[in-house]
Amino acid sequence: MTPALTLRDLTVAYGAEPVVRGVSLQVAPDEVVALLGPSGSGKSTLLAAVAGFIQPRDGQVLLGDKVMSGPGGSVPPEGRDVAVVFQHYALWPHLTAAETVAYPLRRRGVGAREARRAATALLARVGLSELVDRRPAELSGGQQQRVGLARALAREPSLYLFDEPTAHLDTALRASLTEELAEQRRARGAAALYATHDAAEALAVADRVVLLREGRVGQVGRPAEIYEEPADLWSASLTGPASVLGARVSEVAQAKVVLRVGEETVRVPGGTVAGLRSADGVVLVRPEWAGLGGRLPGVVRQVRYRGPYTDYRLRTPAGTVDVRGAGTPSVAVGDAVTWDLQRVWISARS
Amino acid sequence: MADPGRAARTRPALRGATVLAAVGALLLVGFPLVELFAAAVSQGPATVVAAFRGTGALRAIVTTLLTGTVVTVFSVVGGTAAALVTERGAQRGRSWLRAAVLLPLVIPPFVAALSWGQAYGTAGLSDDLLGLPLPGVYGLAGVVTVLTVHAVPLVYVVAAGALASRAEPDLERAARSSGASAATAFRTVTLPLLRPAIVAGAALAFITTVNAFGVPAVLGTPAGVATVTTRIYSDLVFAADPQAFVRVLVLASGLVVLTLSVVGVADVRDALGDGLTRTGAPLGGAVSGGPRWPGALLWGYALATSVLPLLALVLVGITQAVGLAPVPANWTLGHFRAAMSGLGGPALARSVLLATVAATTVLLLGGLLAALRHRRGGKPLATMATLTFAVPGSALAVAVLLAYGPWLRDTLALILIAYLAKFWALGHRPIAGAAGRQPPELAWAARVSGAGPATTVRTVTIPLLLPALAGAWLVVFLFGLHEVTMSSLLYGPGSETLAVVILNLRQLGDVPVTAALAVLLTGMVLLATALLAAASRTSRRLVSRRDRA
Repeated sequence: MTPALTLRDLTVAYGAEPVVRGVSLQVAPDEVVALLGPSGSGKSTLLAAVAGFIQPRDGQVLLGDKVMSGPGGSVPPEGRDVAVVFQHYALWPHLTAAETVAYPLRRRGVGAREARRAATALLARVGLSELVDRRPAELSGGQQQRVGLARALAREPSLYLFDEPTAHLDTALRASLTEELAEQRRARGAAALYATHDAAEALAVADRVVLLREGRVGQVGRPAEIYEEPADLWSASLTGPASVLGARVSEVAQAKVVLRVGEETVRVPGGTVAGLRSADGVVLVRPEWAGLGGRLPGVVRQVRYRGPYTDYRLRTPAGTVDVRGAGTPSVAVGDAVTWDLQRVWISARS
Repeated sequence: MADPGRAARTRPALRGATVLAAVGALLLVGFPLVELFAAAVSQGPATVVAAFRGTGALRAIVTTLLTGTVVTVFSVVGGTAAALVTERGAQRGRSWLRAAVLLPLVIPPFVAALSWGQAYGTAGLSDDLLGLPLPGVYGLAGVVTVLTVHAVPLVYVVAAGALASRAEPDLERAARSSGASAATAFRTVTLPLLRPAIVAGAALAFITTVNAFGVPAVLGTPAGVATVTTRIYSDLVFAADPQAFVRVLVLASGLVVLTLSVVGVADVRDALGDGLTRTGAPLGGAVSGGPRWPGALLWGYALATSVLPLLALVLVGITQAVGLAPVPANWTLGHFRAAMSGLGGPALARSVLLATVAATTVLLLGGLLAALRHRRGGKPLATMATLTFAVPGSALAVAVLLAYGPWLRDTLALILIAYLAKFWALGHRPIAGAAGRQPPELAWAARVSGAGPATTVRTVTIPLLLPALAGAWLVVFLFGLHEVTMSSLLYGPGSETLAVVILNLRQLGDVPVTAALAVLLTGMVLLATALLAAASRTSRRLVSRRDRA
């Protein structure tokens, strides 16, 4: 099957400085790929090159089997089968919500009345049927981004480009809007490239996650792979909390790792990045891979109650380790406790 | 901002500042204008008709309206196009290009007119070198052209500001990826969003053009083309009959009504402030792609309309005699010495003194108001300040002459009053703007750190305003330095300003000395502008970092 999007050795530069460096990537039809990276890693630039806002210095952009940017020239944004949901919404201040959503329809040659009818229906689908005649200034941030989403839906593209669509919304709204985006895209069955710096968001929405580091593709994988088997320390800390265990690895075999933690020998499920000599790696523990109770000694340094669970920071013979326990705090700062490991992962140092 | 505590504490001071500002405005602007209108209205209709019949004054009115309209149309097209090129095109050296487009704004208009005469007029540089004088430089065509060159940056600043306030062109991008071609995106998104800025810019261009005096005086008068402002000048300064004074009153009042109604129609308050105080380059986002030739075209335009004429003026100023080739063998500094030893030296000193006193007074008033966090009265005051700037200099000078002439005729004080009336808006705007952009949290943080109100103002408010205060001082100084419209109506023996001396010398036909003085003046103005640009950059860095985050 032809991928919805193919990038071949894409390099994009502002002036002399490349921002995207030799990225190759494919997005299958109906697949959601999250681009996860810190700010400045080139996510937005990559999306702008796919949309045709900026011309790559090198490499190719293909939508379906058609070359959009390449040595042979470039297709302008209006000629590309994509829709963009912008970080800052990019709503036109002089148009109402209905006019904004009707805009792509009008450009496609739909008559004014029909476009308005369709726009009203789309706005109803994103829960804004009461607000069709409001201008952006009269809408809240969440409502504005829903209008932005409806405008993208009106385009009926094969590929959606989401450029940190929830970055400027508060936490409660973010979750619901992310749901909305995912739901609407799924209903249309189009592919999506979703840029975000929020690991939880990326893991939740994507079929596949691509880590972007200084313009280069880092680890690529299913969300669970990315989270559970980070390739290196950088990927691990980008995708969630992790402690580095000061432990000596004695053996790795058959999804089991044997460690020396202080005086104790520990044998836990886990593994290592393919091809990595365990002596060159670091032993990582996610908070939920460890818990209170067990054979290993420690002293509580910090207690953070988070509602559904509690995070404890322990000082142990293997250094500082964060462990997670269900429910309300069961021990206090200063208490001597025991703890145990349920899983570890050995990643490259960098 | 709900902050009852602070409002309560500063209320007496606030009221004092408001009263001070209101009294100042009344004495400087209100009273003179009332005198002017009273004097104009007291003339019966029959007197007015008699005063205008057969004098050509009506033709001056038609010329003014025509010039204003044509220049507005040209400058709107040119200024908007230039803004699109610098803010949305792919131009190398964008900030230099912006500065090139803005250059005519800081060249004193009558100097620009003089330099066009020397560059493209009969016996000018292009005539001497190529035998190709541009026809009509002296005349209506020349007046319209040079006024257009001066008005383009006014529209440009407002339009570029509107474009650059959206650093990333996301709105156009959204249109493009919604299926709009570049042309459709321009028509349906860019242009509608620019419309308010363009309307404001157009009003600004129109007002500036109909109020212009220096350009028609230099290029129009020798060819027998009169505008309302040059007519006021010739009727007041040269004519002896009482009917001439009636014409002055009626023309001046009419010009005030015309400009104020244009201000009323288009809300140009912001535009006026931006256009006149923002000589620094606006912030903008780089966009890649697109052709480079529009940038080259702009460079060519700036070269032909500002740089080459100024160069011609410099050459005339340093060449021994008119008619000699402008080559190093014929160069001399004699004209500069002659200029300074005659009327020029004292006039220069007077201009610097006037500009300094006016700038300092405006600064003290503006700083006082800002330090008191003038909020409630701020907006009407800003509007009032803007309106006074829109009042034509010619009319304001006549009004000031009527109101204070009996006591202060032929003194520098009379000119100073006119300067303060005209320029306080220029100083008030940047100070009030910077004070308004200053987040109140900064002062609150000082207060909760233990600083009293006075200490807060001294240690936080004023230091952050310093660049804006410096900018305000410089912009008033700049305008005061090259002011010609009002001082040419108000000067007397011993109170000639530098611009008046230049204008009079030119009428006497002393071309090289005129050029030398004009070059000197322009050099000082450009120096002050460079300082101003530096100050405004610093100001923006200090105050608006938060806004850009």
